[in-house]
Amino acid sequence: MGESGILNLVILTAFLEAGVRLGAPLALAALGETLSERGGVLNIGLEGSIICGALGAALGALATGSPTAGLISGALAGAAVAGVFAFFILVLNADQIITGTAITMGGLGLTAALYQARFGTTGTQLSLPTLETWTLPGLSSVPVLGPALFSQKPTVYLAYLLAPLLAWFLFRTAAGLQIRAVGEDPDSAAAAGIRVRMVRLWVTLAGGALAGLAGAHLSIGFTGTFQPEMSAGRGFIAIAVVVLGRWHPVWVLAAALFFGSAYALQTFLQTLGLDIGYQLFLAVPYVLTLLALGGWLGRSRAPTALALPWPHRRHGD
Amino acid sequence: MTATRSWVAAVMALVATVAVAAGTLALGGFDPGEALGALVQGSMGSPSVFLSITLVRAVPLILTGLAVAIAFRAGIWNIGAEGQLYAGAVAGTALGLALPEAATAWVVIPAVMMAGAVAGAAWVVVPAWLKLRSGVSEVITTILMNFVAIHLAGWLVHGPMQEPRGVFPQSEAVSEAARLPLLVGGTRLHLGFALAIVMAVALWAFLRFTVAGFQVRAVGANPEAARVAGRLRSRRTLLWVFLASGALAGLAGAVEVSGVTYSLYEDLSPGFGYTAIAVALLAGLSPLGVLFTGTLFGALEGGAGAMQRVADVPAGWVGTVVALTILSVVAVERLLRGRRDG
Amino acid sequence: MTAVRIRGLGKRFGPVTALNGARLTAQAGEVHGVLGENGAGKTTLLSILAGLLPADEGEILLRGEPVSIGSPREARALGVGMVHQHFALVPEFSVLENLMLGWPGPLLSLPREEVRGKALALEKETGLDVALDAPVKTLGVGERQRAEIVKVLLQEPAILILDEPTAVLSPQEVEGFLRLVRTLADQGTAVLMVAHKLDEVLAVADRVTVLRRGATVLEAPREEVDAASLAQAMVGAREAGSVVHLREAAALQEERPPAEGDPVAELRRVVVVDGRGVTRLRDVSLEVRPGEIVGVAGVEGNGQRQLARVLAGEMAPTNGTVRLPPEPAFIPQDRRAEGLVEDFDLTENLALRLHRWPRFRRGPFLDWRTLEARTREALATFSIRAEGPHTRADTLSGGNQQRVVLARELEGEPEFLVAESPTRGLDVAGESYVHQVLRDLRDRADGPAGIVLISTDLDEILALADRFFVMVRGRLVPIHPGPDLRERMGAGMLGVE
Repeated sequence: MGESGILNLVILTAFLEAGVRLGAPLALAALGETLSERGGVLNIGLEGSIICGALGAALGALATGSPTAGLISGALAGAAVAGVFAFFILVLNADQIITGTAITMGGLGLTAALYQARFGTTGTQLSLPTLETWTLPGLSSVPVLGPALFSQKPTVYLAYLLAPLLAWFLFRTAAGLQIRAVGEDPDSAAAAGIRVRMVRLWVTLAGGALAGLAGAHLSIGFTGTFQPEMSAGRGFIAIAVVVLGRWHPVWVLAAALFFGSAYALQTFLQTLGLDIGYQLFLAVPYVLTLLALGGWLGRSRAPTALALPWPHRRHGD
Repeated sequence: MTATRSWVAAVMALVATVAVAAGTLALGGFDPGEALGALVQGSMGSPSVFLSITLVRAVPLILTGLAVAIAFRAGIWNIGAEGQLYAGAVAGTALGLALPEAATAWVVIPAVMMAGAVAGAAWVVVPAWLKLRSGVSEVITTILMNFVAIHLAGWLVHGPMQEPRGVFPQSEAVSEAARLPLLVGGTRLHLGFALAIVMAVALWAFLRFTVAGFQVRAVGANPEAARVAGRLRSRRTLLWVFLASGALAGLAGAVEVSGVTYSLYEDLSPGFGYTAIAVALLAGLSPLGVLFTGTLFGALEGGAGAMQRVADVPAGWVGTVVALTILSVVAVERLLRGRRDG
Repeated sequence: MTAVRIRGLGKRFGPVTALNGARLTAQAGEVHGVLGENGAGKTTLLSILAGLLPADEGEILLRGEPVSIGSPREARALGVGMVHQHFALVPEFSVLENLMLGWPGPLLSLPREEVRGKALALEKETGLDVALDAPVKTLGVGERQRAEIVKVLLQEPAILILDEPTAVLSPQEVEGFLRLVRTLADQGTAVLMVAHKLDEVLAVADRVTVLRRGATVLEAPREEVDAASLAQAMVGAREAGSVVHLREAAALQEERPPAEGDPVAELRRVVVVDGRGVTRLRDVSLEVRPGEIVGVAGVEGNGQRQLARVLAGEMAPTNGTVRLPPEPAFIPQDRRAEGLVEDFDLTENLALRLHRWPRFRRGPFLDWRTLEARTREALATFSIRAEGPHTRADTLSGGNQQRVVLARELEGEPEFLVAESPTRGLDVAGESYVHQVLRDLRDRADGPAGIVLISTDLDEILALADRFFVMVRGRLVPIHPGPDLRERMGAGMLGVE
C-alpha cells in the first residue's frame, strides 16, 4: 500500500471518528424522541432540553469536579425542561407544537442568560472537566473502524447500547407495548386500563433526560466548554433523524450517524481546502427525510396519535 | 385554531409576561427597574432609537408574524417561516444583483419584493403538497424545509453568490435601485415598515371583508361545519393559505435584504421566523394585533443591547421572555377555556 | 346469586337527562337483555357499570357489596368486562398484542406465550375463531368483534357487558354468537346484552330490562314477555306532548291528499359503500315531491346518516343516480360539530351558507351590512333569544342554536330540505317549534317544499310525516299508513317481521 493509500485510510478513520462523535448527541436525543413519539408526544422542545442539558452538565461538572456528576446533572436538567413541557401538554392539555416551540426558545434564551450571568462575557472560553475517552481493548485495534468507533467518550457507547436496548424495550416488553398503544390509539389504551397521561409523562421525561445527555456530550464530552446556542439546532435535527429512522431505535441510530457523517464531511472538506459547497451536503439529510416522509423511501408512518391532545378537544377548543 | 378575540386574555398574558420577566430579572440578581428602564430607553428612549432600532427590527417580525397568523387561523401549523424568509431573501438578493444597475427603482423594488414572495410561497409547496395529498404533518416538513433553506443560503454565500473577492461569506451588495428608500431621513427606517403596515391592514381586511377570507376563517374555526354548513371544499382554501403564508414570510426576507442588510448573509435572521410564532399568538392571530405585538417584540429585541450595556443583563434573557410570553398566552387561553367548558 | 344490582341511577349531560332512576338486577349465570329505544339510556347505564362514566346519583352493588367504579381499570378489578360497540382495539397491533395490552404482570417482559396459550384454550372452549397474529386493521368487523370478546373473556369477568354486539354481524355470525353467549352464561357469567333486535333477545335472554327515557319501565323473566309486549314497553305512548303530536298527525293524515307535482329530489337505486368496505345503503330509491314530509325512522347505524348525506348533496353515491336541486337545505344531526361554528357570531353563522349568494356579496367582498340586517330579521322571525347579530353562537342554548341553523337553512325559501334528527337534545318547547317550522315549510302557500325528515324518534316521524319509511340494514322500507302504524313501524325498525 502506497503512502497516499495509508493517508487515505487515516483520513477515512478520522472522518468516521468525527461522524460518530457528531452523530452521538443526535443519536441520544433522537432515541429519546423516538421513545416519546412512540407514546404520542412530539417534543419540539427537544432543543431546549439539549441546551439545558449542556449547561446543566457544565455546571454540575464544575461544581463537583466530576464529569460523571456532570452527566447526571445534565440528564436531570434535560428532564426538568421536558417536565415543563409535559405540564403544559398533559395538565393544561395545551398544543404540543406551540408549547414545544416556546420551550426551545426559552431553553436557548435561559441558558445564554444564565451563562452570561455566571461567567460574564469576557470572551475567554470556559474550561470544563471532560469525560475521559474510553478505548475499548481489542475492538479499537480493528483497522480503520476500530479507532473510529471504539475510541470514544462514554456517551457514545451509551448511544450504541441504548439503540438495541430501546428496541427491546419498545417491542419486547409489556411497558413498550403500553407506550406504543398510547401513541397509536390512546382511547383503546385507556379502555385497556392504561393511564395514558402517566405513560406520556414518563416517556416525555425520559426523552428529555436523553436529550440532556446529548447536551452533556456536547459540553463536557466533546468540546470541554459551554457556549450559548451550542446545541445549534440539534433538537430539530433529532426530530428529522427519528423520521428518517422510521421510529425504530436501531434505524434511528443509523440515521443519526448518517447525519453526523454529513457534518463530519463538512469539516473535512473545509480542512482539506476543497471548495465544493459542503453546505449542500448538510442539506442532503433533510431532503432525504422529506423523501422518507413523502413515502419515496419505503413505508414510513408516524404513530397515529402523534401530537394529538388527549383527551380529545372539541373544535375551537 | 381560532382567533383569541378576548382582549382580556391578551392583557392577562401580557401582564403575566411582564411579571415573570421582572421576576426572573430579580432572581438573576438584577434590578428589574433599572433593567427594564434600560430596555425602554434603548428601544423607545428617543424618536430616532424607536425608528431606527425598534421599528426596523419590527418589520420582519410583523411580516413573519402575519405569515404565522394567517396559517394558524386556517389550522395550518407553519413552523417554517424562518426557511421561507431565507428563500425570499435569496430570491430577492439574486434578482437585486441580476437586474441592471441602470434600471429604475420603480421597477426593481416591486420585482425584488415579488421574487421574495414567490420564493417564500415556493418554499411551502412541498409541505403543502405532502399535507394535502397524504396527510403528512406540516410541522415536521416545514421545520425540515427551514434547514434546507438555511444550508442552501449558506452554500450560496460561500459559493455561487459569494462577493467577488471571495473573502466574506456574504453576497455582493444589491444595486442602489434595489434598496428600499428610507421613510424618515436620518434614521434607518425604510419603506418596508410601510409595506408591513399595508400588509397587516390588507390581511385584516381580507379576513374581515372578503368572501375568500371568510372561508379561511370558517375552515380554521371548524372544518366540519365549514364542509357541512358552509358547503366548502377546504383543500383548495388550505392550499391558498399555505401559499399566502409562505409568500408573506418570503416577503419578509426580501424586505430585510433590500431594506437593511443589502446583501445575503448566512445568519441573516436571528430567528425571526420562530419569534413570529410568539408575535402571532400574543396578537390573538389578529393581523392588526400583529402590528402591535411585532413592534413590542421589536422593542424587546432592539432594547436588549442597551439592557446588556447598562444593566449588564444578558441578551439571552430576551429569548426567555419571548418563550414565557408564548407559554403565558397558552396557559391563559387553556385556563379560560377550561372555565367556559366547565 | 345476584351478580349486579343497580338502583336509582341518574346521569345528566348538560341539559339532557340520560338516566333518571334506572334500575337493573342480574343474576350470575343468566343472560340479561337490556332493551330500549335510541337515547333510552342503555349505553349510558352500562358505561357507568364499566367505569367509563361517573354516575350523578344512585348505587351499584356487585355480589351484594356497594362499589364505586371510577375507571375501566377498577371495573376490571371488580370483574366487570365490557365489549364495546366501537371496538377498543389498537388497529396497528396484532390481535395477540391487543390481548397482551393491560395483561397483569411484570412490565419488562411480554407474556406472549402465556397469553397465546390462554387465548387458544379459550378459542377452543368457546369456538371463537380469531387469527392471533393478524394485524387488527386487516380484520373484518365480525373478526374484530371476536377478538374483542376474546380480550374481555381472558380477564375472566364475572359480569360481561355486550353493547349491541350483533349490530355488525352477518345472520350466520349472529347464530354462532348467541350460542356463545348461552355457553358463557352456563359457565356462571352474568351476561348483560344490549340489543335492538327483539328476536335475538327473545332467543337467548333469561330476563329482560326495558329502559325508556332514562328510567326502567319493565323488568321481567323471558317467559312473561313477547315481541309485542316488549315493543310496546320500548316505544309505547309517552308523555302528553307526544300524544298531542299523534293526534295532530292522525288529523293531518286524514286531511292531506297525497302530494303531486314533479319530484324535487330523486334517488334511484343508490348504493353507498363506506371506506371500510361496508355497504351502508342498498338500492335505495326515493322521490320527494313538493308539499310532503317523507319520514324515515330507524335505529341508529342502519344507514340513515349516509342517506342524509346523499340527499344533502354531501356524499356521492357509490352507485345509482341522484337528482337534487342545487344546494339543498340541510339540518345536520350534530349541530355543535357540523351545524354551527361556535366561535363565530350569529351573522357569521348565517353567512356560512349565504356568503356565496349574489345578494350578500359585492364582487369579492361580503356585504356584511345586508348579512347583519338579514340576521337581525331572522332573530325576530325565528324568535331567537340572543342579544343581537354579533352574539357568539356558543353562548346560546341548544334550542336557540337550532333556530339559528333553521334560519340559515330556510333562507331563500328552499324547495327541498333534509332534516336529520332536528330536535335531538331540545326541550318540549324547542321541539314543537321545530316541528311547526317544518310544517309551515311544507304548507308554504307560494310554493310548498319537499322535506325528508330522518329521525330515530318514532313519535317525531308519526307527528310530522306524510309518508313513512324505516331504514333497516341499509334498505329503505316503505310502511303503509293505516291502523297500527306505530306498532308496524316500531316492529319494522327493530327488524321484527
